Amino acid sequence: MSQLAEPETPDVSIGTVDPSRVKLDVQNLDFFYGSNRALKSVSIPFEANAVTALIGPSGCGKSTLLRTLNRMYALYPGQKTTGKIMFDGEDILRPGVNLSMLRARIGMVFQKPTPFPMSIADNVAFGVRLYENLSKADLADRVEESLKRAALWDEVKDKLNTSGLGLSGGQQQRLCVARCIAVKPEILLLDEPTSALDPISSAKLEETVTQLKADYTIIIVTHNLGQAARLSKYTGFMYLGELVEFGETEGMFTKPVTKRGSDYITGRFG
Amino acid sequence: MAVSAQIVARRRAANVAFVGFCYVVTAVALVALAMILFSLVTQGVAGLNLNVFTMDTPAAGSPGGLRNAIVGSIEMATLAMVIALLVGVLGGTWLAEYSGKSLYGDVVRFLNDVLLSAPSILIGLFVYAILVKPFGGFSGLAGAVALAMLAAPVITRTTEDVLKLQPIALRESGVALGTPLWRVIQQILWRGSTSGILTGALLAFARISGETAPLLFTALGNQFKDWDHPLKDLTEPMASLPVVIFQDALTPYPDLNRLAWAGALLIAASVLTITILARIFSREQKRS
Repeated sequence: MSQLAEPETPDVSIGTVDPSRVKLDVQNLDFFYGSNRALKSVSIPFEANAVTALIGPSGCGKSTLLRTLNRMYALYPGQKTTGKIMFDGEDILRPGVNLSMLRARIGMVFQKPTPFPMSIADNVAFGVRLYENLSKADLADRVEESLKRAALWDEVKDKLNTSGLGLSGGQQQRLCVARCIAVKPEILLLDEPTSALDPISSAKLEETVTQLKADYTIIIVTHNLGQAARLSKYTGFMYLGELVEFGETEGMFTKPVTKRGSDYITGRFG
Repeated sequence: MAVSAQIVARRRAANVAFVGFCYVVTAVALVALAMILFSLVTQGVAGLNLNVFTMDTPAAGSPGGLRNAIVGSIEMATLAMVIALLVGVLGGTWLAEYSGKSLYGDVVRFLNDVLLSAPSILIGLFVYAILVKPFGGFSGLAGAVALAMLAAPVITRTTEDVLKLQPIALRESGVALGTPLWRVIQQILWRGSTSGILTGALLAFARISGETAPLLFTALGNQFKDWDHPLKDLTEPMASLPVVIFQDALTPYPDLNRLAWAGALLIAASVLTITILARIFSREQKRS
């Protein structure tokens, strides 16, 4: 009868975002790995030009959610979704969506740095070359601009033609950010971007994200609650494939509404 | 519980015995290799002279060289490697990137492994049946095809293996930029696998460069070469180093025996040279 002793808390609490400011709107999303249902009718709005953090224990579905947003899962037969993801009024889960164009608008940075086996400049130019036919000078400008925005320019400007594989882990990750924003996407998906980095490199990457958030809709999956608190305006807490709590980060970290959310944030599990 | 001195002593003895055994076995292998190389170099160098490169294969008793056999081997090996690289790299790429968990993919992979260890004489017989007999004669082309069939499985296998070593995240980050998968493979994965694929190609080249049996059934051999039309014997019987070595080594004539030794040395030296060049190349590439 311990239930009586504790204050009544709601099981789920989903806050809202001003509808006119929603860039990407996930509606009743289910995700299946074969017959395993990894996301259970998740609905979550992502505000334009703001950072939304997704937190939760391992295996809760945060990365899965992120990978539906650019349809990365389409690479693998046997993975499928039901529901809707509205992006500027269009459902990106509908068959017939041009995935290349979608991914040009929604960029992604992964947990481990993944520089391509080519020079630093070619890494950044790689995506640009897919979509635009720029002159050499314009392309060089774009590379410079992207590297500057990713806060990597000063460290690599003298060795643009050396291999991207020669950079440190933190530099490689910022190179991946530069490669991603060079295409001029509207949304950035960051999948635990600092989990493979040392604290100093992590801090630099966070700084980069802070600089980018005015211009991009950023969605970041992280295990680092401090990082979520520092970077994000909104936070979604996921657990066992469900979105349990969503709202402004400040409120959620000081006064989580649900019991599961409060247990996770206070470190009682996860 | 105290550490038992007895147990420690026993383990140490076992360790010494095992390491000692490894050394002995390695030494046996190295001694055998050194003996082979020693006889190859001494006998081969004795047979080497300018005639080897400037004259064609002789009849017993007359002066001659290996020119037609050297050029024939180069022609057939080059053509074979071109065919094998095309089939092997594309096949290996299909197995690694597109076959997925399909039964067809598993069957292809299994058959490739069978082909990898198929006796080369069987390949020779097969090509004899499909290219020599129906088209009315032995030819350099048939020889090249037989060699390609020996080389392709090696390249297929290594290509698949090195592509699978590339992290999944690398594929996904290419795809995440909106790159079509075929372009991710061409521009990112192949580039990252060049040195591995090259190693596979070298293994394949080393395998075919000394093959004799499949050539006996296909290219046969030729005492002469039409030097005005050096590619003409792609449709006619063509000389090759291994076949000449095989034939000359079996004759009772010392001058032909010497020529066979010289040919063997040439094959060994060319495999060594190409291996070293490729190592240097792939190291340079990694550094840049």
